[in-house]
Amino acid sequence: MSYALRDHTADVAVEATGETLDSVFEAVADGMAAAMAESIPEGGERFSLAITAEGREQLLFDYLDDLIYERDVRGTLPIDNRATVSAPSESEGVADGGGGRWRVEATARGVALDRVEARDLKAVTYSEMDLSQTEEGWHAYVVFDV
Amino acid sequence: MTTYDADGITLERVREYVWEIPREGDMRVPARVLASEELLDEISEDKTLQQLKNATHLPGVQEHAVCMPDGHQGYGFPVGGVAGIDAEDGCISPGAIGYDLNCGVRMMTTPLTYDDVRGREAELVDTLFANVPAGLGGGGVYEGSKADVEEILERGVEWALAEGFALPSDLDHCEDEGRRTDADPSRVSRKAKDRGKNQVGSLGSGNHFLEVQRVTDVYRDDVAREFGLEADRIVVLVHCGSRGLGHQVCTDYLREIEQTHAGMLDRLPDRELAAAPAGSQLAEDYYGAMCAAINFAWVNRQLVMHRAREVIAKLFDLDTGEMELLYDVAHNIGKKEVHRIEGEERELYVHRKGATRAFPAGRPELPAAYRDVGQPVIIPGSMGAGSYVLRGGENSMDVSFGSTAHGAGRLMSRTQAKQEFWGGDVRDDLRDHQQVYVKAESGATVAEEAPGVYKDVDEVVRVSDALGIGDRVARTFPVCNIKG
Repeated sequence: MSYALRDHTADVAVEATGETLDSVFEAVADGMAAAMAESIPEGGERFSLAITAEGREQLLFDYLDDLIYERDVRGTLPIDNRATVSAPSESEGVADGGGGRWRVEATARGVALDRVEARDLKAVTYSEMDLSQTEEGWHAYVVFDV
Repeated sequence: MTTYDADGITLERVREYVWEIPREGDMRVPARVLASEELLDEISEDKTLQQLKNATHLPGVQEHAVCMPDGHQGYGFPVGGVAGIDAEDGCISPGAIGYDLNCGVRMMTTPLTYDDVRGREAELVDTLFANVPAGLGGGGVYEGSKADVEEILERGVEWALAEGFALPSDLDHCEDEGRRTDADPSRVSRKAKDRGKNQVGSLGSGNHFLEVQRVTDVYRDDVAREFGLEADRIVVLVHCGSRGLGHQVCTDYLREIEQTHAGMLDRLPDRELAAAPAGSQLAEDYYGAMCAAINFAWVNRQLVMHRAREVIAKLFDLDTGEMELLYDVAHNIGKKEVHRIEGEERELYVHRKGATRAFPAGRPELPAAYRDVGQPVIIPGSMGAGSYVLRGGENSMDVSFGSTAHGAGRLMSRTQAKQEFWGGDVRDDLRDHQQVYVKAESGATVAEEAPGVYKDVDEVVRVSDALGIGDRVARTFPVCNIKG
């Protein structure tokens, strides 16, 4: 898995790839942390979060949104992200006409913000968002409002 | 007819500085760009024009979607975009208002002149930096409880006055006297309130800052006098918004609208334009929540300004009452306003994203202090360039739904800026060559906000003045700048 910060006139974009959906989610989340801080120290406690959403892209959006929320409320920068993404189960899909919920169970290491030289990143956006399957695995592109 | 071709989009010149993209396809109205050719060259470099065209697809949009002279690409709706949308059978779109609800600017006047401050800039910038919370996780002037946040959302600057963070005249010099009565705090999510709790009175980062400035030029003496401005006078400018609380409100409603009004979204060309139909429950809920976030942002700027006022009073042996709020303007905001459309008065949701309300003299919405002279408009520039004070021009109601520009748009991306500049060099250069003292939480922010990354604010303001939508009153130049 890997990520890169991309040029965007007013904001910042993260482009990421991963062999699996899990790893591309993790890469985007780590890219988001990199957009906030150039170097991150060791230490900090891990915390967990679980999110559900109606679709894959929406799940990525909500997952990143929740990491920003946790950052503000815990006062920590979430890094070394781990994510396990699951598709709606078949029974769920049948029960509500295919509109089942996607789910991500994730953890992150939260480094206290006063230990990091970090900048704010305000919100996730759908602008130019991409989450698609490629020959090598998965590709994602997310623009953040700075 | 004079036309301008921009990568597949043709603009027709309506008159000087007014360009129109004619209606085609699913556009409900034409789109207009207010710019000189020089500015149009910059505006047409990114996706601004396509985003402006997309904005005309919103149901109920009136007359034309308008791009201000400082427009640039946003997400969904361009920054510098204005759309007046029928409040009865149109819609309201969070993405057309922006994530940082009531991001805006205020200016405070002081009795000091540049001579009083000269030689003490380092002390001033250090003391302000030590006292005004900035950056990520820096806390706020006020550590609020959940109950405090509810009060702030409901009462706006009235809360700040009651808590000792305002002077009575601050309320007289703020839009809506610092309180949006349409606010409904119960429509703001717990998540948003959680994020707001420890950010009351904080600058944040990015392009937000607090700046001590000196007035360098006065263009309209009579208006400047009414505003308390004269050459060499020291003023303080505060640029920030509703912090995490406002961003969360926008995100929450964008997602909820996307799920509830998928039908409307399917007919729009960009997901970021997701809109709730006027009259729907979600439109009402979002409007109530947004107005509450507007109150939060006013309180945020009020606390930052009041802290700066106390610092300056102490350093220069002044009374806090000697420093008055000139005005506070929002540049990411949606408001119900009555406008004249084809000869008839209509209530609109006026969406201003990176655009400033610029009402001319005589409008009943203006505070008594400015009703005869016109609304003060504050246009922040970059660290090495001036900022401007304008007043609402008499053509603004006809040309731009009572709006003008909001600042100098970005020219260079943040990543590119960091490759071109190093924060320390930018800071030293500004100090040694321009006598501007900068102090920031993050060196990267200084590089990203270097003077060279912004468009020329002088040209933006010149066009606003020439169009009569925002008249030039005075120009200021930074003395000290603190940021996140």
